[in-house]
Amino acid sequence: MTDFAKDFPILSQKVYGKRLVYLDNAATTQKPDSVIDTMSDFYKTEYSNIHRGLHYLSEVSSEKYEEARKKVSDFIGARDPSEVTFTSGTTGSINQVARSLEPSLRGNEVLVTGVEHHSNIVPWQLAGAKVKAIPMDEDCKSLLDSMEITNKTKLIAIAHVSNVLGSVNEIKEITEIAEDHDIPVLVDAAQSIQHLPIDVKDIDCDFLAFSGHKMYASTGVGVLYTSNRFSDIMPAIGGGGMIDKVTFEETTYLAPPLRFEAGTPDIAGAISIGAAIDHMQKIGMNKIKDHEHEVYSYARDKLLEMDNVTVYGNTSQMCGAVSFNLDNIHHYDTGLILDKMGVAVRTGHHCAQPLMRSLGIEGTVRASFALYNTKEDVDMLIEGINKVEMMYK
Amino acid sequence: MNDAIQDEIIEQFEGLEWFDKYGLLISFAKELEPMSEEFKTEDNAISGCQSKVWIRSHTEDGKLIFDLDSDAMITKGIISLVAKVVNNRPPQEILNADLYFIDKIGLKSNLSPARSNGLESIITRIKEVAKEEADSNT
Repeated sequence: MTDFAKDFPILSQKVYGKRLVYLDNAATTQKPDSVIDTMSDFYKTEYSNIHRGLHYLSEVSSEKYEEARKKVSDFIGARDPSEVTFTSGTTGSINQVARSLEPSLRGNEVLVTGVEHHSNIVPWQLAGAKVKAIPMDEDCKSLLDSMEITNKTKLIAIAHVSNVLGSVNEIKEITEIAEDHDIPVLVDAAQSIQHLPIDVKDIDCDFLAFSGHKMYASTGVGVLYTSNRFSDIMPAIGGGGMIDKVTFEETTYLAPPLRFEAGTPDIAGAISIGAAIDHMQKIGMNKIKDHEHEVYSYARDKLLEMDNVTVYGNTSQMCGAVSFNLDNIHHYDTGLILDKMGVAVRTGHHCAQPLMRSLGIEGTVRASFALYNTKEDVDMLIEGINKVEMMYK
Repeated sequence: MNDAIQDEIIEQFEGLEWFDKYGLLISFAKELEPMSEEFKTEDNAISGCQSKVWIRSHTEDGKLIFDLDSDAMITKGIISLVAKVVNNRPPQEILNADLYFIDKIGLKSNLSPARSNGLESIITRIKEVAKEEADSNT
């Protein structure tokens, strides 16, 4: 396998005198030189506010920003760039939908899966909806036959991939069921956009949300895909840059995407998403998927082989993250000692407390992967786990 | 303010590698008397994302004694050291205590509020209890 890691300068450093093994990618990914350079060059030579000025730099900035939107649109198979809105991230995207749909959600229900993180639970509750989870089996697989759709169900909001377990939800089956009931579907792609090729037309969802920083781009920026079927929903936030005409009596709004982007957006951030897409496409999403699958399966198999390790969740398709615990050793202790071995993992409830409750645990150790991880990284993780066990003997 | 207990702890950790430091903390954790399950209630808990800590206290002859426990061994090791330092002291003395040993033995990062909401909240709770006791004595 080619060495994808060499493009990521942060990975060449040592921590505590050891090679850094970064396995906390579900929290955030590292940035390649191409993304860092694109942002740096933008600030050095092209930066200005967009869609406002008639001067040279504003033209350049606007063009770069819209170019990034077009890249996102092509990357996710949208019908048109107007379906792509830049937001502050997955959480921002989901909140934007919750706010826009609030009139229909209030007093009604949003159906989610049992593996959701808090960002796909709390915004619906804030919009006055009751959140109901699709029942799941002991492997944390959603039981779609037991999915209860009533006349109160106004939206189905589902993670594409679980941030804790790495299990892939059957989103296409869900959108098909939803279509039969004429219910819109939001897909939270925060943990899939960087791992799997995505086509919104194929998935046939109405909304798709993801973050830049989990796909090798900058923090504080993300995407909300809104199907053109919903192009006339009310914007969640109002202000400059999204209006057609304002009087003290009444305001009319621009067409999407600008109607959903009030205020000055994270211009450099949006451009960094474009650069990150370029980076991934240069390698090829299918190649990334295959490479990650190889490393991921290797890690999962190695962990499953260990007598004293419990691995959580199992569906026919898994990617990104694997969660586990060592018998009789607290996840926090495991994480602290792995850290000193140079292995960065995440421990805790991973902002998915309902899932932890259904698993009957307080938290897990989570190793999560990106395109630059290798089997050697997995070997370091396993070596670290052995060291943790030795210390507790 | 220097004190003998803290200085002794610092001495024990001096020159140790990380693994040995953690090893030592684990052995301190094993020494700590576990709290009876019935007292591990939400009221007695300081709960963070990472590990749980339970804290109880009582006074004996005007001196405060804290009973601490945690579900994570390294956290438990750290709090057993905190207990060693603060226990059996008059409330006012605990209130004024500077727990400089945490920094000196290299556990300062464990103090950060984001990291397990741990030590910081525990020390805050200990000081609150000491203040209440000190106030009620005056």
